[in-house]
Amino acid sequence: MALFELREVTKVFPNGVVALERVSLRVERGEFLAVIGLSGSGKSTLLRCLNRLVEPSAGQVLFEGADVTHLRGRALRQYRCGIGMIFQHFNLIERRTVLENVLVGSLGRVAVWRSLLGTFPEELVEEALRNLEVVGLAEKAFDRVRMLSGGQKQRVAIARALMQRPHALLADEPVASLDPATAHSVMRYLEEVNQRFGMTVVCSLHFLSLVRRYARRVVALRAGRVVFEGCPDEITDEWFRHIYGEEAQEVEIR
Amino acid sequence: MKRWLWQALLLDGVTGAYAAVLLHRIVWFHMVQGMEPPAISPWELVAYALAGMLVAALGFTVRCTLGAWMVDPHRLRPWQRQCALHIGLGLLVLTVWTGWIVTKVAPLELFSAEGLRSAGRLFGALLTPELSILDRALAAMVQTIYIALMATLVGLPPALVLGFLAARNVMRHHVATFAVYGVLRVIINFARSVEPLIWAVIFSVWVGVGPFAGMLAMTVHTIAALAKLYSEQVESVDPGLLEAVEATGAHPVQVVWFGIVPQVVLPFLAFTIYRWDTNVRMATVIGLVGGGGIGTLLMQYQGLAQWHEVGLIVLLIAAVVWVMDYLSARLREMIA
Repeated sequence: MALFELREVTKVFPNGVVALERVSLRVERGEFLAVIGLSGSGKSTLLRCLNRLVEPSAGQVLFEGADVTHLRGRALRQYRCGIGMIFQHFNLIERRTVLENVLVGSLGRVAVWRSLLGTFPEELVEEALRNLEVVGLAEKAFDRVRMLSGGQKQRVAIARALMQRPHALLADEPVASLDPATAHSVMRYLEEVNQRFGMTVVCSLHFLSLVRRYARRVVALRAGRVVFEGCPDEITDEWFRHIYGEEAQEVEIR
Repeated sequence: MKRWLWQALLLDGVTGAYAAVLLHRIVWFHMVQGMEPPAISPWELVAYALAGMLVAALGFTVRCTLGAWMVDPHRLRPWQRQCALHIGLGLLVLTVWTGWIVTKVAPLELFSAEGLRSAGRLFGALLTPELSILDRALAAMVQTIYIALMATLVGLPPALVLGFLAARNVMRHHVATFAVYGVLRVIINFARSVEPLIWAVIFSVWVGVGPFAGMLAMTVHTIAALAKLYSEQVESVDPGLLEAVEATGAHPVQVVWFGIVPQVVLPFLAFTIYRWDTNVRMATVIGLVGGGGIGTLLMQYQGLAQWHEVGLIVLLIAAVVWVMDYLSARLREMIA
């Protein structure tokens, strides 16, 4: 059984924009799936349908065979808790410490009043420190996030996602605002999480070179529709122009 | 294109009727006849309306009016544009002239011998303050500062709560909360648009003239003003962090606490300090209508025409306002 399955998912936003149109997709347990396509092709919306930050207008989202399309309230929060997510702009609390930011990942498992008082249980703090070790930032635990570099911030965001003990990790253009060298270091941490913990990773990316290097399967979107599905090696020049348009040129990042 | 046409006709109609009213009632009655214009008769109303329609028709056919110019300035001939420009200029001159007459502007009054003498006496007295009442004035000033402080402190907690409940991005997710948001917006805007002076009048009838009425008046205004500022700050937070906290499966209360609060703490603090500073200034004015403190003392001496005492109080107010201004600016600089 697939971990995620999208069945004919369509998303129309209130302003009339059709972000996804009858998208069907299976994400197998433990795979590293890349989602590519131009800006505005629906990559972000696709990821947000998987963890139900976005509710589809039509179609079904299945998680381990169970329908999660229209979850609400507590059930929806529990579902989201099981799926980590990282973002292009990191989305961390800049003025707080690294540790406090990582602990945000455990909010779904902590009583509301405890989190408001800021008294997280000791074992969660230890878990947060272990997760910081995974991303190589243990010694930065008590620094403020705004003092960190972009790559370090994204690693904090990964540690925050790991705090959710997730079944899967969604990454929405995680390296789009990083320089190439830093981009690779962040991608390697995603790769490590995927291989060491066997965690499913769904990652939207801009650069095909990164896709070829890290992903085992790739899905391409164009104007909200799936136009390609297969191995990264199968993306020929012809496919490339089909996905990105006739004007496009591939840019290499090493 | 259709909508533009209606707007042009409306503009020409309104300006035409407006010009007719001014020409008839101000130029004809005031300037030519030299008398106050009588009450408007129904026939005159009809005539004004007809004048408006005439101008609108003129704009539609000859295209030499403001309306025609607004719709399509580039396709007009030079003389048409000139004509529209002159209509606009004429309206401006007519309006200023009317304003002059309605306000009864009389510059010569500023330079009458008697007036100048009175003003000189007053300014002289203000500049030689009566120091013997300094202790009374200081006590009243302290009362004013405390009125402002209490209004700020008492208004703060409700304003904090309202700041979140009146923020669109917090409340839009559910129909019921969105309705609450709409109602609160209306209430806050109403409370804010009523001047604190009027609140002071209301509360002095309610709880009696005195510092408590002044404090209540300023508390109401503080709640409304701060709630507005707070909610705008909440609405302008980076939605990315909100989304990230939501994605962890956090409870809505946690989303607000971890997603919004860290982004608004410092702006909130700055707004609050600024509010206290504004309240001190406002409290002196509130005192003038019976809100207690230095303003009430000022009114007493002014009523007795004891200008040296008034002079001391005015200087004291100026000094305190200046110090508050400076302190609040420095404090806000420090946290920025």
